[in-house]
Amino acid sequence: MGLYKAQKALLPVTVLGLLVALGTAVMQWTEKNEAAPMYSGMMLFNNFSIAFSAISIVSTILILLLSKGYFEKISNHIAEYYAIILFSLAGIIVMVSYHNLSMMFIGIEIMSVSLYILAGIRKNDFASNEAALKYFLMGAFSTGFLLFGIALIYGSSGSFDLEGIRTYVAGNPQNIDPLFYTGILLIIVGMCFKVGAAPFHFWTPDVYEGAPSLITAYMSTVVKVAGFAAFLRLFSACFLLMADFWTPVLLVITIVTLFIGNITALYQQSFKRMMAFSSISHAGYLMFAIVAIGAASANSIFVYATAYSIASIVAFGSLILVRQHSGTDNFEGFNGLAKHNPFLAFVLTVSMLSLAGIPLTAGFIGKFYMFTGALSQYKVWLVIIAVINAIISIFYYFRVIIAMYFRSGDDAEVAIPAYYKLVFGFSALATIVIGIYPTLISALI
Amino acid sequence: MQTFYIIAFLSIVFSILVISAKNPVHSILYLILTFFTFTIHYILMNAQFLAIVNFIVYMGAILVLFLYTLMLINLNKESEPVKPFMVKVAAVFGGGILAVALVSSLKLLGTSAPVVLKDPNLGLVKNLGKVLFNEFLLPFEVSSVLLLSAMVGAVLLATKDKEPKATI
Repeated sequence: MGLYKAQKALLPVTVLGLLVALGTAVMQWTEKNEAAPMYSGMMLFNNFSIAFSAISIVSTILILLLSKGYFEKISNHIAEYYAIILFSLAGIIVMVSYHNLSMMFIGIEIMSVSLYILAGIRKNDFASNEAALKYFLMGAFSTGFLLFGIALIYGSSGSFDLEGIRTYVAGNPQNIDPLFYTGILLIIVGMCFKVGAAPFHFWTPDVYEGAPSLITAYMSTVVKVAGFAAFLRLFSACFLLMADFWTPVLLVITIVTLFIGNITALYQQSFKRMMAFSSISHAGYLMFAIVAIGAASANSIFVYATAYSIASIVAFGSLILVRQHSGTDNFEGFNGLAKHNPFLAFVLTVSMLSLAGIPLTAGFIGKFYMFTGALSQYKVWLVIIAVINAIISIFYYFRVIIAMYFRSGDDAEVAIPAYYKLVFGFSALATIVIGIYPTLISALI
Repeated sequence: MQTFYIIAFLSIVFSILVISAKNPVHSILYLILTFFTFTIHYILMNAQFLAIVNFIVYMGAILVLFLYTLMLINLNKESEPVKPFMVKVAAVFGGGILAVALVSSLKLLGTSAPVVLKDPNLGLVKNLGKVLFNEFLLPFEVSSVLLLSAMVGAVLLATKDKEPKATI
């Protein structure tokens, strides 16, 4: 596309291609979940993969619709941006449907390398450069941990295949190699970095703040969801029988993530930075499904991730508009938004309520499934801590709502392009529909 | 076995020289020698492919890049930061603890069964190619997306825009 100077056709062609990809993915759906591994055991495209591919593709379409007119302001080479976003999406599809650790690694790398570039596309902006460099250095380091973990697992079990590793674990219940345990811990370190869970979260606020808002939206929704899908797939397929060993580790990580994310978000003045810390705390909630691993884990991650992605896309979309209008990332930019832009204020309120987990929104249903899963394994204290954190989170989400409805600001109307209206309308509707009628998506996998 | 001990001794000596050499260029030259001894290790273990890759990529390409970078940033004695005594003590302490942890954990470990090579000809280029183009064909092909993405990104970040754009 970049060759033919047809820049106007870029967005429609991309969205059309993604819709075709979505269609072909959904066509693979089988009622009994009977997919077999393909390509000599490299990929397994079962219902789990289809569901997570679908949510990734839909989120990417929504984000790309917001990109109308966005990249043109950054650079002349907009075709490359679409290409790199699509490359990282290809990596994500590999990540959610791998059946071999080598495929998982390549998928994660395709996604990460594309993101390092996307974080730094505002070449003249210092914060963007810092974000890209920081993300690249820290990401390369964590990749080292992940690869070391995979190597140790291979060294002790003799297989890269998920089935092979499971057979090894099931076949040697008493004398599992010590290297295998070390491998699991190193993989946990690598994966926690990729999903931005504490104490491996230090890159998140700076990278999310420095990267362009649209890319931040992509990183905090699609990438995070794919990271959790890969995490869950590995742990539920291979290490399920060793859950006694790694559950305490993940339990501690979850609690630390919840507290660090929520308490730090309270003190932020910038909306974008607040969203970065809120995404850390949501990583904590998503970890619930892996801590309380079971048959329902995939489903609860799917519901939570859907709710979280849709709400975040609305939040970042309105941030882009408000930022273009008032020139600031801070909460003051949202002052008095309800008076002159009732629609924008309403959809942003819905998304904030959904992120906070108020009933009748999708976020509540997501949290409900997560807590039910944890309670079914008698992790009562974990749920109590999570509820305390949910209450803390209400404070900072409501700051936005209060700024919009009860503070007075300048009265100039924020112009909302038609594409944005479409995305906002769809997302708000989806949030409320899932909140009222959750069985629409909750019984899929 | 005799050769192994000689080579292992040499690689340890060279790697000590890497960190003790005063001149950074000498340090890199010693690093090249260290990698060369690694190449010999790989040949001793009958891993042809690894040996060749180590020779070409690490010794050849990466260390030449290192040398170029060093010459570009012009590392002098004056620019080297002086570290306080406490930092040195802390570094030695931390390194010692790591060494103790590693040694004690290695003492606990036996050699697990899969680590012992079942097929001594595993590392030959012929066998590697067979595995790579049969079983692992998909990862091999998919990694081309990774390289393409990195290449497009590098060009994108390195090209200069005609006029500076206002930031959003």
